[in-house]
Amino acid sequence: MDARSLKEKIFLVTIFALTALGVTPVFYVLASVIYKGIEAFTRRGIGIIVKVNGGILPAIMGSFALSILSTVIGVVLAFVAGLFVAEFPNSRISKITKVASRSLLEVPTVLLGMLVYILLVVPTGHFSLLAGAIALALVMLPYVMVHVEQALESVPQIYREAGYSIGMSRAQVLFGITVGIAKRGIASGILMGFAKAMGETAPLLFTIGAARSSLPCSIMSPGDAVPLMIFQYAQMPQEYYHDLAWAGSLVLVIVFLLVFVIVRKLIKEVKY
Amino acid sequence: MSEKLGPVERSTLNIILMVVIGLIIVDIALRVSCCFLQGHRSLSSQVTLMGSGSTFIYPQLKHWISLFEEKNQNIVVNYNPTGSGAGQSQLIREKVVSFACSDPPLSHDTYKSVNGKILQMPVIVGAVVLVYKIPGYSGPLNLSANVIAEIYLGKIKYWDNPEIVKLNPKAKLPHIEIKAIHRSDASGTTQVFTFFLHKAAPSLWPENLVGKAINWPVDKTGRGLGAKGNQGVSEYFKTLKSAIAYVELGYALENKFSIAAIENQAGVFVKPNTTTMTAAVESALKSGLLPDSPSADWSNALQAIVYASGKNSYPIVSFSFMMVWNVYPKKKAEALKTFIEFINTIGQENVIEGYAPIPKELREINLKSVNIIRGT
Repeated sequence: MDARSLKEKIFLVTIFALTALGVTPVFYVLASVIYKGIEAFTRRGIGIIVKVNGGILPAIMGSFALSILSTVIGVVLAFVAGLFVAEFPNSRISKITKVASRSLLEVPTVLLGMLVYILLVVPTGHFSLLAGAIALALVMLPYVMVHVEQALESVPQIYREAGYSIGMSRAQVLFGITVGIAKRGIASGILMGFAKAMGETAPLLFTIGAARSSLPCSIMSPGDAVPLMIFQYAQMPQEYYHDLAWAGSLVLVIVFLLVFVIVRKLIKEVKY
Repeated sequence: MSEKLGPVERSTLNIILMVVIGLIIVDIALRVSCCFLQGHRSLSSQVTLMGSGSTFIYPQLKHWISLFEEKNQNIVVNYNPTGSGAGQSQLIREKVVSFACSDPPLSHDTYKSVNGKILQMPVIVGAVVLVYKIPGYSGPLNLSANVIAEIYLGKIKYWDNPEIVKLNPKAKLPHIEIKAIHRSDASGTTQVFTFFLHKAAPSLWPENLVGKAINWPVDKTGRGLGAKGNQGVSEYFKTLKSAIAYVELGYALENKFSIAAIENQAGVFVKPNTTTMTAAVESALKSGLLPDSPSADWSNALQAIVYASGKNSYPIVSFSFMMVWNVYPKKKAEALKTFIEFINTIGQENVIEGYAPIPKELREINLKSVNIIRGT
């Protein structure tokens, strides 16, 4: 064996080992959540999914509502901001927007929760799902925006020129061509933001109220979310609550995986 | 309408419309699914009480809430365990909750600033317990405040220290180092524990070592270890072979740790249980150290019940207080009164493992608030 192929072997083995090192924690977490989650369900019965008091239904329903609400608010804002920044890169507003959204990434999420607490919860006088959703929207905003921006920027200029050459307006080019070609990148940005928001606990601590004895019956009523429930139940001494936390984790993971697989399947790469 | 608007205005309008429609759809979906999932509760007549605060009382409060809601279908009680300090501030300053729970009572200054408008009721008794793990020995262990203080000061290094042996003449204690675990986060548990050490062993444990978070002298010897939360301390304790730690009783019982008997003011070694915990409060009540009204200043309550007199009293106990305003809108006032009544009657007979009920005299005092709260 000569030196070159030996070098190649060493390189490959190193890369493989590092990849394994990076991926192992993910599989470890996944495996333990599935194992402990199933254990929890067999011990407490599958019925805890639909129980309100002493079950996880309020958390699941709350998380479900929060994910839609925060996506509606966050993605729409981020999408528009991303479009604007990508389309008018030299405008002063877009430069300010860019800096502002990047610095939003650095803000600890618990502070975003406190901000919404002061601006919305205190004036309305009660915790609400809407407050939580706005806090989550602020969390996902910069992630989605960066992705949308980069996806749009990566579309080659010649496609736009082709559009203009056949007499399309700027808006037609943007929505008909650029967004269409960049849709996979945009979708993965939205997924990133969605995932980020769904797993967040800190912005919800002071906004949604951890209401576990009742279901959230409007967007202005207090609610619960699975990550918040996991965080608070894991600190309690009773095993029963630990089990509920594991069950909640399992449900969260399953929903996550489903959403990811479905969205990836639905949005196919555009063939040039 | 769209004829007069330019393309920019139109798309802005469309975007706002999209968000609003999205919100409305989710709102309707929530209302509909609520009707399906909890049809037996009519929404219009329902009163919701939101509370927040102490994490320590949370398991007990959850138990009370589920019992309470079985009996009172039209009252919903929700509780957000954000911590005692946040609870006090959310009730008093920001007014976003109907009631709060806090392990420490209102400080003297806060009490003065609210001018008797906040009612405080100690609703449950908790205990901080010392758990131990000694290699080769699983029998009972007696500890005194002096010995505990010296362990956490770093002065006592081994289990077979003469002072420990003196308290446990029958035990075979090994010559092995003791690791002392404490909380690394700011905690009411640490406050109660250090307060006890100072009150029971003032010559060893100075006042500047009393607080929610302190600089542990034992850390300098390398035998002190910190962990976050009662749960964190319990998990850490499990991994060690020779250690001592202080946790809330519930965590010790749930994890089946060995719990030490502590010497009380009367010189008796007492283990924590319902009887000895309630006894401590009873003896404080009898000596007239606790106020007799919910609108009084309770800021010295800890002083009164920690290291209390009486030969049955467990020395390291604490209260968790429920706090409410004295005026509410009518419906809310009625609901809150019902809940307070429930907690101080049936609730005290349904206390879960790790807590002790308050004595009868104290329930009477708490129930006075039912007459004080006014509905407008």
